[in-house]
Amino acid sequence: MNRIRLTGLVGGLYLLLFFVYLFGPLLVMVATAFNSSSFPRISPWDCLTADWFVELFHDEKLLTGLGNSMIIGFGVVLVAVPIGLAAAMVLSQVGPRLRSVMYAMFIAPILMPGVVLGLSTLIFWDRLGTVFGADYNSLFYNGIFLTIIGQVTFISAYSMLVFLSRLQRFDPTLTEAALDLGATQTQAFFKILLPYMTPAVLSAAVLAFLASMENYNTTVFTIVADSTFTTVLAQKVRYGLNPSISAVAVTIVGITLLAAVLFESYNRYKKRQAQPAPAKPESTGFVRAITHPGFAAGSVILLAFAAVIWVNTYDSSICRAQVDAQKRAYQEEFNLQERPAEASPEATETPSAPAPKPNGSSIFAPGNLAPGTPETEPKSPSGGIFAPSNLAPAQ
Amino acid sequence: MTGITRFFNEFTERNGMPVAIYLLIAVSIWMLLLVALPQLTMLDFSFRQNLPPPQIGGPNDVYTLEQYRYFAMGNEISGSSFNALDISVLFKTLIAAALVTILDLIICYPVAYLLAQSSDAGAKRLLILALIIPYWVNEILRAFAFRILFGATGVINGFGMQLGLWDQPIDFIGQNIALYAGLAYAYILLMIFPLYNAIESLDKNQIEAARDMGASWVQVHRHVVIPYAKPGLASGATMVFMLTAGALAAPQILGGPSSLWFTQIIYQWFNNGGNWPRGSAYAVILLIVCISLVLMIMRLFKVSIGEIGR
Repeated sequence: MNRIRLTGLVGGLYLLLFFVYLFGPLLVMVATAFNSSSFPRISPWDCLTADWFVELFHDEKLLTGLGNSMIIGFGVVLVAVPIGLAAAMVLSQVGPRLRSVMYAMFIAPILMPGVVLGLSTLIFWDRLGTVFGADYNSLFYNGIFLTIIGQVTFISAYSMLVFLSRLQRFDPTLTEAALDLGATQTQAFFKILLPYMTPAVLSAAVLAFLASMENYNTTVFTIVADSTFTTVLAQKVRYGLNPSISAVAVTIVGITLLAAVLFESYNRYKKRQAQPAPAKPESTGFVRAITHPGFAAGSVILLAFAAVIWVNTYDSSICRAQVDAQKRAYQEEFNLQERPAEASPEATETPSAPAPKPNGSSIFAPGNLAPGTPETEPKSPSGGIFAPSNLAPAQ
Repeated sequence: MTGITRFFNEFTERNGMPVAIYLLIAVSIWMLLLVALPQLTMLDFSFRQNLPPPQIGGPNDVYTLEQYRYFAMGNEISGSSFNALDISVLFKTLIAAALVTILDLIICYPVAYLLAQSSDAGAKRLLILALIIPYWVNEILRAFAFRILFGATGVINGFGMQLGLWDQPIDFIGQNIALYAGLAYAYILLMIFPLYNAIESLDKNQIEAARDMGASWVQVHRHVVIPYAKPGLASGATMVFMLTAGALAAPQILGGPSSLWFTQIIYQWFNNGGNWPRGSAYAVILLIVCISLVLMIMRLFKVSIGEIGR
């Protein structure tokens, strides 16, 4: 008994550590988006700021890339989902031996390096364009078209997996019954199988869209002269680290968390609807209103509104000016210290100046960080409406 | 031939003509136009010389092994007998990918086991949802997060120096520690889910029985859980290995200045180098080496490819 509890404890600790590994990097990145320091970091905390978000919303390149990514994402969904459905249906109809061969073929694009898929697509359509004598403005050289084609090769396999798991639970006697009652095969497909597959179609579409949005390896080859959200981001990251990239992350993490909350509350709501409602008088009024997905959706919209207003109105310029002044003062003091030090070496041995600035915003003296942090720390939770950790207790 | 026509007749009869046509067209567009033909073109292209566009298809456009020779022997001018740089990058990439796979296996096995064996359904659902959330964050951003953590003035260096564990900033990026941690992080989900699915279907009574017969925890895992979860293990390991070996974003962002990933060489031949045939040859080499390694390991562990992705 004791032993089981012990392993439970160790297991719990392990899970905790694991989730720290999983979320720690994301939380740190999220926090850097609100620090006014122009290098993404948290430990010398300068000022709470929303400026990185403002900068983000004015980043033309990123917005163009986002637009292209949206077009590509919808294109991929439109092509990959029907292909995935067809592949799953074909697999479910062939004999076991052919099935395993075909399954290996269909799953192969997922396992192939994305780089290989991207460049083979690029070469193939380039050759084809040459054969047809197409000019450089045609489809064969169009980055958006090529990216859709390149991504569909493996995203189709993702959707196929979604459809396969749903098809396994399909009761074929339903189709047989429809046929017995005089439906044609086509009618049976549209009236029986397709409605049954609808939830899978939706989840395959969402999965395909997300996979398309986040793909880099294939896209970087097929996009040619255009850009997507991911390729612009990659350029930004490689060019230099900048907290506005963290602001992108905050936006994405925020949307993801909100979607997850909505999804979960909708699922619970549906489960409750499905069960015969037990007569529970206390859960009728207020509680029911709070747990209704409409309420969740409403609060999500409210939160988003609050965030936008905060970004647009919060002004960190005074605090920033202070920090800059402190830095300049410190720099001057530093220079003053250095100059006599150059003249007389023994001056360095006696640290004459007291600890320069309590705010510890200097990069030069790491030892100053410790006393500085408690003073500046409380700033961070005060206004971080965006910070997802603040959302948790609200739900 | 008659077998094929019979199959066709049966197929159209079963699905009705319109649906049968849709199924066949969709699958053949996918497999032929999107997968097979581009791969074959790439293979063909890798055996050609790097010619300016007007000369392609002309009399100079002959098949050659030049690109593969370059990978093996390097530049003729350099006079060295083999291309030490590119070959060593390939080996380093494969070894690093194998290391990342093993690291993920070690990290994920206990988590998958704990999740699969826990009886609290609600907590389990929440934990699984929590697992998926980091995966929705863009690959580039995940690498960026590790850049922030591991940089010279990053959180880990700051923390470690404040605690007095070390007094000089450690160059995690130059040492590739940031790269391995970031890669292991990036594909963790692909390891957990196959493992979780495999372990979840294991009857708990089997573990109880083994315990009752006096097996230690190590023995339970070695003789009961791991053999049972082998397909999931192989599936997760294959996916993580292939994706890590083919990764491009994380090495570009997290890799040290002295280290190269093999995909980065391919990328360079395509973009800066402007030598598509050579890039294709390198891609073919990567593909063949990765696939044969995976098939070899699958044969070693007696798992079939049909079990991947379930």
